[in-house]
Amino acid sequence: MTNPIMSVTDVGKRFGGLVALSGITADFREGQITAIIGPNGAGKSTFFNILSGALRPSSGTLRFRGQDMAGVPQHDYVHRGIARSYQITNIFPNLTVLENVRVAAQAFRSRMNIWTDRTDYKDLEDKASAVLESVGLGARRQTLAKYLAHGQQRALEIAISLVADPALLLLDEPTAGMGPEETREMVALIEVLASNRTILLVEHKMKMILGLSDRVLVLHHGQLLADGTPQEIQANSEVRRVYLGQNDGYA
Amino acid sequence: MTVQLIAMQLFSGLALGAILIMVALGLSIIFGMLGIVNFAHGALFMVGAYAGLYVASLTGSFWLALVLAPVLVGVFGMLIERFLIRPLYGRSPDDPLLLTFGLGYVLVEAVRIVFGTDGIPFSTPAALRGVVDLGIGFFPLYRLFVVGVVLVVLLLLWWGLEKTKFGLIVRAGSADPLILRVLGVDIGRLWLIVFGIGVGVTALGGVLAAPMRNVSPEMGTLVLAEAFVVTVIGGMGSLAGAVIAGLLVGIAVSMTALFAPEMATIVMFALMALVLLVRPNGLYGRAAPGL
Amino acid sequence: MSTVRNVELASAEIPTGFAAFRCNLRRWRVPLSILALCLLPWVLPSQALAVNVLIYGLVAVGYNLLFGYTGLLSFGHAAFFGAGAYTTGIAIGAFGANWFVAMIAGVAVAGLLSVVMGILAIRTRGIYFSMVTLALSQLVYYTALQASSWTGGENGLRGFTVSTLTFPGFSINFLDPLVKYYAIMVVVALALWFVSRVLNSPFGAVIEAIRENETRARACGYNVERTKLLSFVLSGLLCGLAGTLSAMHLSIVPLDSLHYHTSGLIVMMTLLGGAGSFFGPFVGALAFLSMEDVFSLWTSNWQLIVGVIFILFVLYLPKGIWGTLISWRANR
Repeated sequence: MTNPIMSVTDVGKRFGGLVALSGITADFREGQITAIIGPNGAGKSTFFNILSGALRPSSGTLRFRGQDMAGVPQHDYVHRGIARSYQITNIFPNLTVLENVRVAAQAFRSRMNIWTDRTDYKDLEDKASAVLESVGLGARRQTLAKYLAHGQQRALEIAISLVADPALLLLDEPTAGMGPEETREMVALIEVLASNRTILLVEHKMKMILGLSDRVLVLHHGQLLADGTPQEIQANSEVRRVYLGQNDGYA
Repeated sequence: MTVQLIAMQLFSGLALGAILIMVALGLSIIFGMLGIVNFAHGALFMVGAYAGLYVASLTGSFWLALVLAPVLVGVFGMLIERFLIRPLYGRSPDDPLLLTFGLGYVLVEAVRIVFGTDGIPFSTPAALRGVVDLGIGFFPLYRLFVVGVVLVVLLLLWWGLEKTKFGLIVRAGSADPLILRVLGVDIGRLWLIVFGIGVGVTALGGVLAAPMRNVSPEMGTLVLAEAFVVTVIGGMGSLAGAVIAGLLVGIAVSMTALFAPEMATIVMFALMALVLLVRPNGLYGRAAPGL
Repeated sequence: MSTVRNVELASAEIPTGFAAFRCNLRRWRVPLSILALCLLPWVLPSQALAVNVLIYGLVAVGYNLLFGYTGLLSFGHAAFFGAGAYTTGIAIGAFGANWFVAMIAGVAVAGLLSVVMGILAIRTRGIYFSMVTLALSQLVYYTALQASSWTGGENGLRGFTVSTLTFPGFSINFLDPLVKYYAIMVVVALALWFVSRVLNSPFGAVIEAIRENETRARACGYNVERTKLLSFVLSGLLCGLAGTLSAMHLSIVPLDSLHYHTSGLIVMMTLLGGAGSFFGPFVGALAFLSMEDVFSLWTSNWQLIVGVIFILFVLYLPKGIWGTLISWRANR
């Protein structure tokens, strides 16, 4: 693959005696949607944490756009173009929906300015409003985030990472806790987003993944079990044995 | 500056460290299980000393005081957990801190009202007076006794945690409280007991310290800061850390007292600052509450 | 992540009804606060109490920036208050400095101290922070106790007085109680204006995000440690300023100004009034100092009563007096 947007080489992670990940090697092509699946405890969250800079790998290297990410502090990841949403809703509860997204956008304009009025940055509010419209939260801008319903909080969750306009978007179980209707809406949103960025997705809903992704990585016990197109993965007997047999459709 | 003098001072540091270990242990036990920092810790140490005083004056027996006082204060601790701290569950993690701070304030004033503001001397029990010839020098028997008691407590704690079913539950619960709920363990009762034990251990430290220090309502003030220093150096929630840090601080303070007495207290805090520079999580710090 | 006690909405549109009233209230918070402070000496039974409310109110405002808005519970802010006070006293008493130079020196030393303490304390994980700040400020306390040739040790620092504030062209009689009050009030008003600007700034938005969800704030691209440090230092500067005023007011700096008891006092006042609200800290200082005044007439154990009240507030009124009032009116 020429110039993958992100490449991980022999990445491993241990926590004391526990080996969460080992020997993960993969290149991610720009513009693709890649799903990462695996049973619980397979290391998906750990992998995501490493890709987003929340954890340092114990071994191996991570390269984003050719740059080695070792030593890059977590708060710089989003400035380089990597943003992530969380499996467990991770928003700012006592700020309004608008402020949740606006403050995320502000990180690209000013971080330590203690003197000018924040409302001077009118473009940030406009940008935040636009993103909120795109996820369907336009009407709830003034509501405190903690008062949103679960599905709306998930949408806000995504909105916060979206406003960074990342080249690489990591979505950690975006449809967690959602029913069929909301899941369909999320899938449609992801397809729209994928048109001009690369997406990595952790999910459990097999039918959704197989229909949506260009490529699937299967993790098992911290190792890469399989890597291929959805069709290849479905046909892979080991994967079927380990994982696919247990889960189907909107489980 | 003879070898004897230095050795004596080292032993002194050991005794001082023993008290520090007791105090830090109590703090760590409570944090390890409940995840809260008890800011009433110094005050409870002081209450322990006064409880010991009271029992000893009532019964005439230091030994009874040594056993009863920690139990009484431990039960008092359970009441605190049940009625003051339990309601704060689920709220900001700062709230128990704030509440226990206010509680410490109240306890000191309450003791002032009941026992007066002046210090009360607590005489060393007759059986433990005098010195022991350790070969390198004469060492106060009482201090040896204190070291001995702390060793026993450490052994009991280790045995309780590692070898009993209760200890297993405590260790599991500190790593993952949710699991215990799922398994049907009454976590409320668990918290109650662990908090009581943590407070009891601290109160025992207070009783042990009583003959060595002036028993006054203010005696817990420095103790709180000392407990924090030892805990920060050793690492929060680590029993081994509390022990090693307690010894380290005790010896450092004791040795400094030999050369520059006015710097003794300062050295303790400076040591903490140094450790913070190099290891912000303490020597044995953990990422989450746990023993 | 700490749950916030009071929220001041950052609204984007023009709201109507009560929300509009509240939004405008927020825009006028500095002038309204100053108005309230102007009236204080006429409303309170004694001028001494009024000056104390000013000074401790300022400490609480400075502290609130770190605790109420950034979400960091420090138990060491007495170090900055005391450092400001001692530096001012020493500058005037030992070096014969003029009052203005002494004030600047006090604030500067407090600021420097807060940089050092902040760097050490912020490295630690959340639960350690409170313990470390308490212990570090005790280091300052014991150092001051030992350096008695400079600080007066146990007896505190004496031997300096500010009787007039000289300006180019005119001077003010600082010994007149009412003049003293308004002179100090001018400084406090300027500080309030500064704090309001900081809270309205982009930085103000960042510290609230950190309070709400530190890990997400970091993931959004903010250097959380550096931001916390700046908040820590700003609050240290403000508490130091309050210390300088206290020294000039009392002409004595008691050693206890540096003890964690004083830190605890600051925390209590802030919580009683309403952490995370703009005017709450003053309400808290007023409440606390009034209680001290009134209760100490009845009993020498007034601290017991105040302590119990504080515990009750933590349990049942965590938003504080002012904070609860604000949220009642918002929910009507």
